[in-house]
Amino acid sequence: MLSIEVSAPGRSAIATAAYIHIPFCRRRCFYCDFPIAVVGDRLRGEASGTIRQYVATICQEIRQSVNFGKPLATIFFGGGTPSLLAPTQLNQILETLNQTFGIAPTAEISIEIDPATFDLAQVQGYKAAGVNRVSLGVQAFQPKLLAQAGRSHTVEDIKVAFHTLRQAEFENISLDLISGLPYQTLADWQASLEQAIALNPTHLSCYDLTVEAGTPFSRQYKPGLAPLPSDEMTAEMYRLAHQTLTQAGYSHYEISNYAKPGYQCQHNRVYWENRPFYGFGMGATSYLQAERLARPRKTHEYYEWVQQQANFSPSHTPSDPTEILLDTLMLGLRLAEGVDLDALSDRFGQAVIQRVLACLAPYEKQGWLMIERPVSHHLGRIWLTQPEGFLFSNVLLVKLFESFAD
Amino acid sequence: MPVPCESFYRLVAAFMTNVSVSRIRNFSIIAHIDHGKSTLADRLLQTTGTVDAREMKEQFLDNMDLERERGITIKRQAARMNYTAQDGEQYVLNLIDTPGHVDFSYEVSRSLAACEGALLVVDASQGVEAQTLANVYLALEHDLEIIPVLNKIDLPGAEPDRVKQEIEDIIGLDCSGAIMASAKEGLGISEILESIVHLVPPPRDTVDQRLRALIFDSYYDPYRGVIVYFRVMDGKLRKGDRIRLMASGCEYEIDEVGVLSPRQMAVDELHAGEVGYISAAIKAVEDARVGDTITLAGAQATEPLPGYVEAKPMVFCGMFPTDSDQFEDLREALEKLKLSDAALNYEPETSSAMGFGFRCGFLGLLHMEIVQERLEREYNLDLITTAPSVVYRVTTNKGEVLLVDNPSKLPDAQLREKMEEPYVKVEIITPKEFVGTLTELCQNRRGVFMDMKYLTPERTTMIYELPLAEVATDFFDQMKSRSRGYASMEYQLIGYRENPLVKLDIMINGDPVDPLATIVHRDKAYGVGRALVEKLKELIPRHQFKIPVQAAIGSKVIASEHIPALRKDVLAKCYGGDISRKKKLLQKQAKGKKRMKAIGTVDVPQEAFMAVLRLEQ
Repeated sequence: MLSIEVSAPGRSAIATAAYIHIPFCRRRCFYCDFPIAVVGDRLRGEASGTIRQYVATICQEIRQSVNFGKPLATIFFGGGTPSLLAPTQLNQILETLNQTFGIAPTAEISIEIDPATFDLAQVQGYKAAGVNRVSLGVQAFQPKLLAQAGRSHTVEDIKVAFHTLRQAEFENISLDLISGLPYQTLADWQASLEQAIALNPTHLSCYDLTVEAGTPFSRQYKPGLAPLPSDEMTAEMYRLAHQTLTQAGYSHYEISNYAKPGYQCQHNRVYWENRPFYGFGMGATSYLQAERLARPRKTHEYYEWVQQQANFSPSHTPSDPTEILLDTLMLGLRLAEGVDLDALSDRFGQAVIQRVLACLAPYEKQGWLMIERPVSHHLGRIWLTQPEGFLFSNVLLVKLFESFAD
Repeated sequence: MPVPCESFYRLVAAFMTNVSVSRIRNFSIIAHIDHGKSTLADRLLQTTGTVDAREMKEQFLDNMDLERERGITIKRQAARMNYTAQDGEQYVLNLIDTPGHVDFSYEVSRSLAACEGALLVVDASQGVEAQTLANVYLALEHDLEIIPVLNKIDLPGAEPDRVKQEIEDIIGLDCSGAIMASAKEGLGISEILESIVHLVPPPRDTVDQRLRALIFDSYYDPYRGVIVYFRVMDGKLRKGDRIRLMASGCEYEIDEVGVLSPRQMAVDELHAGEVGYISAAIKAVEDARVGDTITLAGAQATEPLPGYVEAKPMVFCGMFPTDSDQFEDLREALEKLKLSDAALNYEPETSSAMGFGFRCGFLGLLHMEIVQERLEREYNLDLITTAPSVVYRVTTNKGEVLLVDNPSKLPDAQLREKMEEPYVKVEIITPKEFVGTLTELCQNRRGVFMDMKYLTPERTTMIYELPLAEVATDFFDQMKSRSRGYASMEYQLIGYRENPLVKLDIMINGDPVDPLATIVHRDKAYGVGRALVEKLKELIPRHQFKIPVQAAIGSKVIASEHIPALRKDVLAKCYGGDISRKKKLLQKQAKGKKRMKAIGTVDVPQEAFMAVLRLEQ
């Protein structure tokens, strides 16, 4: 059995990223299995007691957090629908983060927002509070597809939303799209890609639909079977996105993410580089001192947990070195630049490199993996090819898991 | 040092005294699964003070975890109870348990042969079931006094009068004196004990004759060797005696002799009529098999007791370790299991597709599942078990007769003169509304209709003769699901019959996979072949290449499918909160892959080898 040691830098990296989960949604989309709380269409922001209580609790959690002493370089408000927060509430959370950890002047501060949940004054308020990156949940440009996915906005709402963001002078805007939706055709997908490009965002996330257990989709549909497109078709959609978006000047920097030069999401890169991060809010996970800690996924349990952190123990996965190695490979190979073998060797020892290469070498011939050969003192780098290596990434990962499991 | 409780002294005192044969009653309980046999046994032990309420585990007699989980009895036990009857006399009551599954009817017959009486326990809300009926007939063959007991009379659905009438109609047993009981509530227990004393005859007093004791169970204890349970039929035996087992021919000196209370308790001597155990450094259960006769080496009985039969496996399958490094572990595990399971047979088998493993023989499908589960659970082995096969009788062109228990060993069609397969007579008892669907089942399985009778206006017995191969697959499960659990069955071997049988080969990615080969009737070959390739298509995961799956007879392909190539395998989203869960998905996939068998370049999961059992025909 190969023994793996994590060297000091691996353990002592200091968190400079914070994820804030805002679980509220007007309703649940049919494909969603996130920890959310449905609040309906009427109340939001300061008018909603539920949201006020949540903001107060999350601020309390932030204040109770361990502080590792470095100011935050990235902050991400995810959901749920964070745009159901009033600018004052968002500001309150940012203020609390600033008082607790400090926020670097150049920090990337992102928020996920949904069309038809905000107006100009509201996003101007976010901007004034410090938000400088917006991720807009578009998903599709076909009214039928939006309705069948349970989205609560129209195609017109998307255009209005984008225009409003530009009016508020947001420069760094990302759009989310989903391929593989029920009844979606290759032509639909191409149209969505083209309309997205026409808006000229700085960043795009394109997700191949995953039918998650427990969602309405999982009761209605079976992956690969009509009315869902076949695996062959969704693989084609994936290739089409790669081709269309790279031609339009976006780099395919992660399995599902594209960016114009200089606009990769710094916060999400923290996950893929397997660096530590804070996590606050219901269902949020933090990764500090090599431990992943998932908060309770139900509102009242989360409140209880914040109140009595001492005697509540939520699910808690301590990581051993092999697990950290597998995390590093599983996450790092999602990135276009892949995994640097020098860094891997520094962190886990040279024997690990031999084993990883032995495991993955066959996929080089297959055309799914690139191996940069060692030159002088450099061990090189491994990365997945685009789009084919990305499309079959699990095959390689399963091979690694098989090899490193006991 | 803990002070022994009062009941302990009472027991010791009782066992020390020499019991007169006229005060012994030996009985067993005949009941269908769930009709309350174990609960009643527990209640008898408690009422006679044999077991304290506080030391009473639920269902004392079912000892194996597997038995508890499945609610069946595989290993038999026995219990000796002291009972002071209403006539003021002290009696010794020996309860001899019987296994509760069709695969073990020989063992049932040996337990019954050790008794003079039996309680026939029938659920008052259900009625007589096929297996109960079969065991009652066995008991009648052995001249046992049968005491009908209607159990669960406290349940709202109980219909004691209907069920009494049913017992009278079906078995012809007078039920006017049937005992109304609820083992759960403790109703009718003293009546049962009194009936045992007054209705079950005492054993014959043959203490002066040469020793003959009937083995009705034995098990392997890793510290003491085999522990043998027996009933002394004639004569007596004591510690230190040199004994001989008349069928196996082995001789031993008795280290310990005792009674079961139900815990083992050593005594000096046991005589005719008594039930007990011995340990004598016996190495394997097959040296002291159920049905064998114990006699004294120095004063042997002239004749063994009747009824001994060699264990004859009815179904065979291949067992292969998923990981070929585990072959030696599997051999050791089988050797150990064999020590405690005389009916298990095995010999090494080599398969081009599977590597090294063993061909194993079993009494039936349940026996096979139990062995497989014990190997995986108790010995921590990952196994691939191939579909079960019966033993075919093949006559070659040259007039040789071969017994073939492995389809891949069947001589080629042009070398075969004829093929015969074992047949069984199956009796099914069912509520009348399921007769249609069960008739269809029997006919689909090549059954020959023999008889059908209405036992009562509501319940029917159906008798069919069927090829064992059709019964040894999922027949029992199908019967249960088609009758929503209400039908029950019993079968017995009736001999071999000639049939036009063919060997169906399966090819995966162009290579024949011998453990998937199966023998089927010519008329069913196309249907089975089609269903099998479709099932395999469903069970074998996609690979990076397209995989043809074909069924063939000789060189002729009769059904063909293909598993399309994998088009994508990717996690679309993986952010901070997803990492642990997504990783688990990959770990699960990796673990599943490790449990698959690589056949050429194709990874085949365990379930695929049993696919033939789960075809929708």
